[in-house]
Amino acid sequence: MNSQALMVRDVQSEEPSEKFLQAPYDDIRQLVRLLQCPYCSKPFTSPVTLPCSHTVCRTCLPAPKPRANISYPNTPDHLIGVVCPLRHCGAEHAVAQCSVDVTMTKLLDLFKAEISKHQPMVEDTPMLLEEVLRVDTAASAEEKDAMLELPHSRTLHGGRLVATFVMAEMGELRYSSDVNYRSLSASGDEYDGLDVASLQRMHDVVQTELDCLVCYNMMLDPTTTACGHTFCRGCLMRVMHHSSICPVCRRSLHISPSLQNQPSNTLLNSLLNALCPDLVAARRTAAEEEGQVGGGEDDDVPLFVCTLSLPTMPTFLHVFEPRYRLMMRRCVEGNRQFGMVMYNKNNSPQGELGASQFLQYGTLLEIVNYELLRDGRSFVETRGVSRFRVRQHSMLDGYSVGRIERVEDLSLSEEGAFEQMETSTARELADEHEQATPGAPLPGPVLVNLNSTQELLEKCMLFVREMRQASAPWLSSRIVQVYGEPPDDHAIFPYWFASVLPIAEEEKYALLRTTRVRERLKIVYMWIERIRGHRWPSGNSCSIL
Amino acid sequence: MAALPKRIIKETERLTKEPVPGISAVPHDDNLRYFDVTIDGPSQSPYEGGLFKLELFLPDDYPMTPPKVRFLTKIYHPNIDRLGRICLDVLKSNWSPALQIRTILLSIQALLGAPNPDDPLANDVAQTWKENQEQAISTAKEWTAKYATRDTNPTS
Repeated sequence: MNSQALMVRDVQSEEPSEKFLQAPYDDIRQLVRLLQCPYCSKPFTSPVTLPCSHTVCRTCLPAPKPRANISYPNTPDHLIGVVCPLRHCGAEHAVAQCSVDVTMTKLLDLFKAEISKHQPMVEDTPMLLEEVLRVDTAASAEEKDAMLELPHSRTLHGGRLVATFVMAEMGELRYSSDVNYRSLSASGDEYDGLDVASLQRMHDVVQTELDCLVCYNMMLDPTTTACGHTFCRGCLMRVMHHSSICPVCRRSLHISPSLQNQPSNTLLNSLLNALCPDLVAARRTAAEEEGQVGGGEDDDVPLFVCTLSLPTMPTFLHVFEPRYRLMMRRCVEGNRQFGMVMYNKNNSPQGELGASQFLQYGTLLEIVNYELLRDGRSFVETRGVSRFRVRQHSMLDGYSVGRIERVEDLSLSEEGAFEQMETSTARELADEHEQATPGAPLPGPVLVNLNSTQELLEKCMLFVREMRQASAPWLSSRIVQVYGEPPDDHAIFPYWFASVLPIAEEEKYALLRTTRVRERLKIVYMWIERIRGHRWPSGNSCSIL
Repeated sequence: MAALPKRIIKETERLTKEPVPGISAVPHDDNLRYFDVTIDGPSQSPYEGGLFKLELFLPDDYPMTPPKVRFLTKIYHPNIDRLGRICLDVLKSNWSPALQIRTILLSIQALLGAPNPDDPLANDVAQTWKENQEQAISTAKEWTAKYATRDTNPTS
């Protein structure tokens, strides 16, 4: 009851306390720097937060160019890219991941409006601002010379905060520079009152404008999607467990539900901490009381030791063992989820689990249909949700339960970098090989790596089409009815293919530990190569087909 | 019962403080996730002049899953069945946590103004709507006059 009272209290009615204004007041220069583009030094215009976590104006981004050696995801805005203009970064990003940061843009617009609204009221409060250049030790000699020539100084009005912001707007305050302030007031007034008022106004803007669209609270640990929309980190995590599209614009987001590869919006976080540490602290306390924080690992997930299941694919079970009947009944009454793991037939060591009864990697399944028979047996239709690794396990009423950790794909940036690295290295090796031994066949791994991620998928799809034309029994209409048509999503295709292909489950198991889409497609491609190898050079039809 | 999330508190406050014209939503005292809703039939529709009662419930995982909404007043409409269930994309697959009670009720009001017989829930109604629109509209008007009056108890 207490927490509820705390949640509904109206924070705005409280008296502004001197305490919370102290922190930003001490470093007004740093506060204004958070609003300046590190590239052009002016206050941001349509800021874009890049995957390298730098924020720059959209107009400061160079013109997009086609990206070399990138083929996945195969959409136009992923195949062209821009380079981070900051000298020390230079990372290349897909245009799809460089959208305008909607929240930062709104904040900047409101701050600018507040400042220009109060400009006429603060005339005749002169203060001298002298720019103090900070020479970047990494700068080139020319840059150092250019900087040393021109420190600006200006007499401006409105207190230190407003004057500093205005100086940045005039383009006379470099991002890295410090400022010396000297009041030119006849009475020696430092205009502290003006700064307190300005900070209070910015504080109010943040308080009224920074609500998360999911929880309606002030954003806690703001995290921004590739499409530029910001939510509390915890809220975005919850949303991603239910769907894979942005709640605001419905663009599909290539991020995993744990957000483990999705950095928070560092600029917005710093700005909130600088401007309203009081609100951030209150919000954090309220969230802890509401139990919003936490998550990540799941404790005591029931484990069914039986077969191989794959994400997004169905698994059908006939449950007859009494211990699993009990487990199923509990699952159906609970969150309808359980983990599927395979037997450890060879007693091979499973990481920190040792030679456990089952293999370490598995798939979380969700019960879609549950049919209980009279004698207590049941037919269960499930669908794969996500992959996991078992960290710890114990027994509960005869069946295993485990503490599990999700296994997810790396971020799109890392996926892209991996494709670039692998294909370009393969190209170099192939060239060297050609020069050393002209005409000789390339080693297998190089041949595989020469394929772009898109080519790997296309070649796999081609194989599926050929096999269907040849009426391969494992691609009969009955099978396709169960598993669906081959998905054209690079990330999911391997799971579909492994579900229909009649090879040993131990081989398919390799897919569960992959953290890159390209890695999964390569595994599948190598199966296909092997099958083709069996089939054609020997002239016999392949036995498993 | 767990504390009510702040989002639900704020939505309720806003619905009361800045009501949407022609729409009301009042939570039950004993269950703040359960709302009594009324929607005025949109003007220039067969439902004009009617007052339609609905029930709206916010499930535990709201706003991750959409609110559950149902008409209590009998209504002749191709996308609303005899049990009052509504066929509307934003209540199902097109739900997004950025939507809210307010926007959902506005969508339902809009659905009254623009029936969509090509995506029917009540098949017989949809068929009449397509084959003999005049007759369908006149039935809808009749039902509105009969069931959606301001003083009758809709739960009968």
